[in-house]
Formats: sequence, structure tokens, C-alpha cells
Amino acid sequence: MRISKIKGLLILFTILSFACKKVISVNLNDTSPQIVIEGNITSNTGTYLVQIFKTVNFSATNTFPTVSGAMVKITDSTTGTTDLLTETTPGNYMGNTLQGVPGHIYSLYVVAEGQTYTASSIMPVSVPLDSVTFQHNNRFGTTDINPVANFQDPTGITNYYTFTQTVNGKKLKNTFVFDDRLSDGKYIRQQIFSDSTNINIGDTVSLQMNCIDLGAFNFYNTVDRVTGGNNFNSVSPSNPLSNITNNALGYFSAHTAQIETAIAQ
Amino acid sequence: MNPLAIISSLAVSVFLFNVASAQSNPASPPGKHTVSGYIKEKKSGEVLIGASIYLLEIPKSGSISNAYGFYSITAPAGRYTLIASFAGYIQDTMHIDLDKDITQGVKLVEKLSDLKEVTINSKKRNENITKPLMGVQNLSIKEIQNVPVIFGEKDVMKIIQLLPGVKSAGDGSAGIYVRGGGADQNLILLDEAVVYNASHLLGFFSSFNSDAIKDLTLYKGAMPASYGGRLSSVVDIKMNDGNNQDYHASGGIGLIATRLNIEGPIVKDRGSFIVSGRRTYADLFLKLSKDSTVNNNSLYFYDLNAKANYKINDKNRVYLSGYFGKDNLGFGSNFGIDYGNTTATARWNHVFNSRLFSNTSLIYSNYHYNIRVNSGSNNILIKSYIEDLSLKEDLQYYINSDNKINFGINIIHHSISPGIVSASSSSSYNSQNLQKNYSFENAAYILHEYSPTEKFRFNYGLRFSAFSVLGPGTFNSYDSAGNITKSETFSGGTVIKTYYNLEPRFSVSYQLNENSSIKTSYTRNAQNLHLITNSAATNPTDLWIPSSLNVKPEIADQVSLGYYRNFNDNKYEFSTEIYYKNLQNQIDYKDGAELRANANVESQLLFGNGRAYGLELFLKKNIGKLTGWISYTLSKTERQVNGINKDLWYPANQDQTNSVSFVGIYQASKKWTLSATWVYNTGNAVTFPSGKYPIDGQTAFYYTSRNAYRLPAYHRLDFAATLLGVQGKKWQGSWTFSLYNVYGRENAFSVQFQDVPGDPTKTQAVQTSLFRWVPSVTYNFKF
Repeated sequence: MRISKIKGLLILFTILSFACKKVISVNLNDTSPQIVIEGNITSNTGTYLVQIFKTVNFSATNTFPTVSGAMVKITDSTTGTTDLLTETTPGNYMGNTLQGVPGHIYSLYVVAEGQTYTASSIMPVSVPLDSVTFQHNNRFGTTDINPVANFQDPTGITNYYTFTQTVNGKKLKNTFVFDDRLSDGKYIRQQIFSDSTNINIGDTVSLQMNCIDLGAFNFYNTVDRVTGGNNFNSVSPSNPLSNITNNALGYFSAHTAQIETAIAQ
Repeated sequence: MNPLAIISSLAVSVFLFNVASAQSNPASPPGKHTVSGYIKEKKSGEVLIGASIYLLEIPKSGSISNAYGFYSITAPAGRYTLIASFAGYIQDTMHIDLDKDITQGVKLVEKLSDLKEVTINSKKRNENITKPLMGVQNLSIKEIQNVPVIFGEKDVMKIIQLLPGVKSAGDGSAGIYVRGGGADQNLILLDEAVVYNASHLLGFFSSFNSDAIKDLTLYKGAMPASYGGRLSSVVDIKMNDGNNQDYHASGGIGLIATRLNIEGPIVKDRGSFIVSGRRTYADLFLKLSKDSTVNNNSLYFYDLNAKANYKINDKNRVYLSGYFGKDNLGFGSNFGIDYGNTTATARWNHVFNSRLFSNTSLIYSNYHYNIRVNSGSNNILIKSYIEDLSLKEDLQYYINSDNKINFGINIIHHSISPGIVSASSSSSYNSQNLQKNYSFENAAYILHEYSPTEKFRFNYGLRFSAFSVLGPGTFNSYDSAGNITKSETFSGGTVIKTYYNLEPRFSVSYQLNENSSIKTSYTRNAQNLHLITNSAATNPTDLWIPSSLNVKPEIADQVSLGYYRNFNDNKYEFSTEIYYKNLQNQIDYKDGAELRANANVESQLLFGNGRAYGLELFLKKNIGKLTGWISYTLSKTERQVNGINKDLWYPANQDQTNSVSFVGIYQASKKWTLSATWVYNTGNAVTFPSGKYPIDGQTAFYYTSRNAYRLPAYHRLDFAATLLGVQGKKWQGSWTFSLYNVYGRENAFSVQFQDVPGDPTKTQAVQTSLFRWVPSVTYNFKF
């Protein structure tokens, strides 16, 4: 339930006439670069990608050093098939021989700069996304339009979802996370919030729904909570929960992927 | 032995003691007699708490009137001069024949306002030196009425934030942290009833309407054994009783709220009532907007205090008091939350004999919230509450002028409903009913006030508390990963687990000379109700959970040492205290903890330790044209929780190294009173990122250690001026003008990290600050 978001808005509402924002300079400590691994395999055919790079200091520009020369393998542990990924551009490792099968467990094996990192993720059963509709929210004289994902959550099993939006061909940065902890077996009409772009009537909105497993959900859910740092909803931010061993940041996710497109109205 | 059995046997023995002392014991020892009675204000009949009374012939015989205005002095038979005094009132002298136990009521007359002699401290002038209790601050409403506050609403919870050792939970917040304790570790009592959420409008106002309040006492350490249940402090607030002589009304009209207070006799001299109400109307300004997305939002609170008392006869008096408060925040028809406290207290004062005073209280307290969400096809209602029913029996036995014993029992039944979610069938959410929790929080206590010599005074006692988790329900145990290891179901009435705690309390003062003393104390407190919150400031939807199979009672041990010195005929009072506090079983949260509507919320918790230590300095000027105080606190507050910050000690969020406040009130003329406060403190400890990395094209931040950074220092100057208007025989009016944050300091409320808008190659830190230059004007009247 996005009650915390709504509450954040309410607090803003309360202080609307008083609050002011400004950019400040904060003297943040430097940190030694940490390895970040971002790996996905989907139930669709085609290529899948594992990216390896390093963190930079907060004050640096957003150019992240890539990690080349790593050995990256993905194994379908259920069938025993392994794919050794090829580094196509620095830090990007690609493969295409596997296709995710619901219920199969996929393992990631990475050896980079002498360190070994492993992770595993189970491909969930696909939940069909029926349609994308739109909801208008009127707030203080402005109207927000958000897409709504319509789908039937399967009863009796735990499901985790992420949603991303592409508006007029431009992908929004937010990943919206949803789980059926409070909604098991319901027909879901979930508004997909984002904080980057306003949608206007007539825009083409593509909504991608992924069914993910618990490990990936824990990662996305904690990213969602802590992004932006010291904010209204969390006392102390911390690093998102990674499902990769050896203290690597990031995640490895075997997930389904579906896209539905609609014109905003 | 069953805890209920222990408590009931204690209750029986207390009762037997009552009967025995009432019937067989002579009230006074052989050859001695007792004078007792109530001390009141003559004009209104309000009882005076903490008035001083003694026999001129035996200066050491002094007594201080208790919370109900009762006093008792025992002395050998003879003729005496009884002297009663209360600062701001004319001293009263009576001649008494103590040839038998007698009752002597005392009525004091208020001194007329005298510019040369403004006295704000209503207590016996050097009580701070002589009393053994330390870490205690008493505020009367009179004392705080001129201190500037935000939005012009006088607020006792904001004033206590200006005292040493007390920290604000944030800009404009009514929440407090006392000597390194958590926001939930303060026992906030309104006429003995626990107030679970002492704030309105997300913390910008406290629940306490100053019109309805007589007196506030804050215990930061050494709380007497009669209080218990929270680790850090007791904020004991007493409501006015109402005028039992004449009918009066008073009130105020401000930019934010309007207040009205009506009081008068039920039967003259025997009983009185008081009703105080206030409502804010910020939402009425929203209504002025033509835009329907603005004008159908709601944002207001109201509260109502009511109290009545009736004297049946000289030995029996009954009181009934209640509080009802409600907040309503609504976002059109899409979203709404209402929440509030309700308390009711019925009390019976009974004088068994001139030396044994009893108070029996039956108390009800409730805090609840309701959330409504109507978004598309989602119609959801969430309800939650905590409800207490309690019985308190407190006996005060005045043995002689050197010995007083106070003992009693306290039985509280808690019912907590963490959440009932009702969702329409078209909703994306399931209806759900989280299991209710039931528990008994029982305690028995005894304390002894003892002065073996003129110089030594002791106040020591023992509190024995028993917290019982009750069925019905299913109780899970969890491993460190949060998995259920054991699940047991119990039927209603079963005692599932009882936690016993012995809580010793000890304070001693040694008077060095007439003007100075040293004091030391040791206190242990146990806490069995814990607030689960995922925000730095408290939220109306925070969840109270009882101790359980997984959650152990929180325990705090505190030692403190202090030096007290008055100067210049008690015009100035100075004190310094140092303290060290050790906290056990403190609660923190796992990364990504899910606290909302979670039946297994206990699996999301981590448990650890805390420590806090500090130095407090306080200098106060009580008398003269200029009054006020300066307070300074140097402190450190840390936590250690396995699973957080690599298991190392880290600063708690509210760890503010330096904290200073100045409060000055200047009586410029008969008409004008000017006042100012200035506060400064080190910024809160916060977690900032050290590095960053992209996730799916979005910048994520890399954190190294918990609370290793500081928000910028907080400082602020406030100013107020009060102008007395018409001072007719009947109608009295005054204007209060105030300006909050005079020099417009942008104090950090939060700092957020984000990509620079329009330049995705860079990141920046953005500070949000709340209140700059908040002016207000209020007209107050009385007739």
C-alpha cells in the first residue's frame, strides 16, 4: 500500500506555505570503490545481460568504472545447462542460449578481479497483465495522470512485481514495486506512481510488468525505501538488500517480462 | 505464583492496612497530634499543589501540599502558629490549639501584580535545594504564559524542550527526547491517564490546551516509585479544577485556533467544573479557494478538556476529568486520516485520618486512528486502537515531619488492535483483521521520604512490576532471520508469559548550607509497551506493541549527581547535573523492515543496547523585571544493535552534542511584557551516502556507516510581546504578538540526495527547511 507516499504528500501539504528547499554542499567521506553487479534473465527469448561496474564517490560525476575481463556464467540449475557470457562492451556481459522457464532456478557465477560472487534466483510463474488504464488525481489545482496495471493475482502463492514505464518512447527511471502481501488472489488495479514525468492526455505509455522472486523483491523494495536518503519516511537509510554473495551491491533476477501499451486518456 | 494473585494479595493487604489504620490505630502517636487539611486559592477555590506549610515554633515541621492540596503536620500537643505560603500569594498565619487532631483548611490570596516583584516560580523558594529528588522540573502555567511559541499557541510540551536534557523531535514538533531516551520512552500523564499520542497535526501542536492545565512536572531521572512504565521521563500534567466561587469565562482568538474556557461552582465552596475547548481552522482558509481540489481538503483538530469535582464532606472528595481530542486530515475524497486520544479519570480522595491520605483512581485511556483510502476502485478503511483500563490506589502516610510513606498498587489492562483492514470487494486489497493483543501491566510500590538530620534527606523506594501477556491468540517465536520457529495458540484468559521487574529508586540530598546542596540518585525503570515507527518524527499511525515472547521489557538504569546553589536571596537558582544511563533491550529495525499491517511485525525487529551520558547546566532568575533561564546540555547518546553498523556503537539520531537555550521575559511596563527565546543545538546524527552507483539507470546510493554525519546546526530566535488591553472590573483583554524564527534561519528538516534536474551526470544534496518567519497574533480575554 502506498500509504507512506500519500502521507509524505500530506506532510508536504501541511507545511506547504512554510517549507523551502535549497541545494547545500555536504562534505561527504570518500569510499573505496565497491563492486556492483546487475544481472537479469527473462522468460523471453533473446539476449540477457549482466553488468559489472564500481561505485564512485558522491561528488564525482555519474560515470561509473566498468569491470572488464570477468568470467560470468549463468546456469539453469534445474536442467544443468550453463551459458558462459561474452563481454560485448566493457563491463557488459551478454548471453542468449538460455530462456527462463517458470519454476527453474538460475545461478549466477562471477569471478572478477580475483573475487568470486554468486547468486541464485527462481523464475516465477508468469501472471498476465490484462490492460493498462489511466487514473487522474486532482491535487491543488494540478492533475496527475498515472497508468493503472490491471491483472489477476493468483491465489495461494506469494507474488512480487515490478513496473517500469516508457512515455512517448522515453523510459522513466523509477521502478515501482508491488507485492500481494495484502492482496493475495485479488483482481489488482494498481496505480503506478513515478516521480519523474507528467503524463498528458494522448501520450503513448508502455507499461512493463515483471514477475520477480523474493530476492529481487527485497532488493527493489529496499531501493524504493532508501532512494534519496534522509527523507520523511525512513529514519536511517541503508544499502539495499543484495542477493549476491561476497558483499557485492546489486541484484540477480530471473523474471518474466510483459509490455502493454496504451494511449493516455 | 500467578502475577494476578500477587497483585490481588497486595491489594488485600493495602485494604487491610487502610481498615486497620482507620479503626484500631490511633491517628497520632501518644502525646502528639496532627493538623491536616487542604490548601486552596481563596478567589477560585483551586487547590494549590506544592504550597509550603509549617509551624513557626518548630521550623523543621514543614510539609508541602500534595497533588490534591492536602497537607499533614504532626507535633507534640501545644499552641502553635501555622504559616502557609506559596510564591505569588500572601503568606497566611493562623493560631491553632493542637490539643487533639484537628482539620485546618487554608485559603491563600494572590498578590496583586507588583512590577518590582514579579515572581514566576510558584514553589517554596529554596525547594530546589532542600528536596532530595533530582532531575525534576516543575512549570506552572503562570511561568510559561509569556514564552514565545510557534503559531502563538501556548504549549507546555514546547516549553519543556527549552529545559536542559530535553530535546525536540524536530522543528515545530511536540515530541521530546529526554536524556538520550526514545520518543516513546516518556510517560505522559494527563490527570493520571496515559496520553499515547501527545500531538496534533503531525506534531506541530501538543495535545494539551494550556487553558485547561494547572501544573506540569517533568522527571528526567529519579522518578519516585509511584511512577513506572517508561524508561526516560515522566511528564505529569494536572488539569485545573475549576473555580468554585464564581462563574468565569476566558478564551483566545488567534490566526490558527480559537479557545474557550468556562468554569464555575457546582455548589459554592463544595464543587466546581471547568470545560475548555479549542479548534484550529487552517482548513477554513482552504475553503476560500475556488479550486475544488484545494477547498475540499480538510486539516484541523479540536480538543475538549472537562473536569468536575465535588467535596462530599471533609474526608471525601471526588473528581471526574476527561479529555477528548481529534485530528482530521483529508485529501479530498481520495484519502483521509483521523486520530485522537480519549481519556477519563474518576478519582476519590479519602482522608482516613489526619495522617493517612488515600486516592483511588479509575482510569480509561484510548488512542485510535482510522485511515480511509478511495483511489479508483480501491475503497479501504483501516482502523487501529490501543485502549487501557486501570485502577490505581495510592496511600500517603504522614508518620511525622521526618518520615512520610507513600505506597500503592497499579493495575492496567491493555487491549491493542494493531489493525482491522476493511476493503470493498472491488478493491485490490484483502480485508484483514490483525490479531488483538491483551495484557496486564501491574505494579506495587512503596517509597519512603526520610530526613534523619536537617541536612540529609532521602527519598527511596521500590517498585515491583509484573507484565503479563494474555491470550487468546497465536503467538509465534522467530529466529534471527525472521522465520517462524514455533507457533502456539492459547485460549482467552491464559497468562502466556509474565515479566517481573524490581525497580529500585534512590535519591539523597545533602544540604551544604542554606543556599547549596548536593544530590545523587539511582533509578531503574522497565518498559513493556514499545512504539514501532519507521519515521524520525512520530507518526499518528505508529504502532504500540506489548512485550511478548520475542520482545523483552526495555530496562534503563540511571545514575546522576548534582550540585544546586541559589544566589542573592534565592533570586537566582543554579543547578548542574551529570548523568549516565544504560539501556537494555532497545528496539531497532532490520533493513527493509515491513512494519505496516504485518502480522509478523515482531520478526522485523532487532534488539540492542543504548547508553547516554551528559552534563546539564541551568541558571534561572525567578524574581525581578527580567526573569528567565539559560540552559546548556553537553551529551552523548549511542546505540549498539547486532545487525546494524557492523555491530558497532553508533550515535542515535537524536544525539545532539551541544544544546543551549535562552529564555528571557521582560516586564517593560504595566502594559507591555516582552519575551524572547534563542535555541541552538548540534544537528541530529544522520546517515548520508558516501558513494553512488546506477541501478536500472537510476542513481542509487552507497552507505558506509549509520548516523555518521550531522545535519547543519539548528538555531532560532523567537520573539513575543504581550499588551494588556482593557482591564475592566469584569472584562480583561490582552494581545499577544509573536514572531517565530526572527532572523529566518533555514534549519534543515531533511536532506535528500538526487540527480541534478536537467543534468543526469551530477548528483546534489537538497535541504528542506520548514518554518521561516512565522508571525502570529492572538487576542486573549477573561471575564
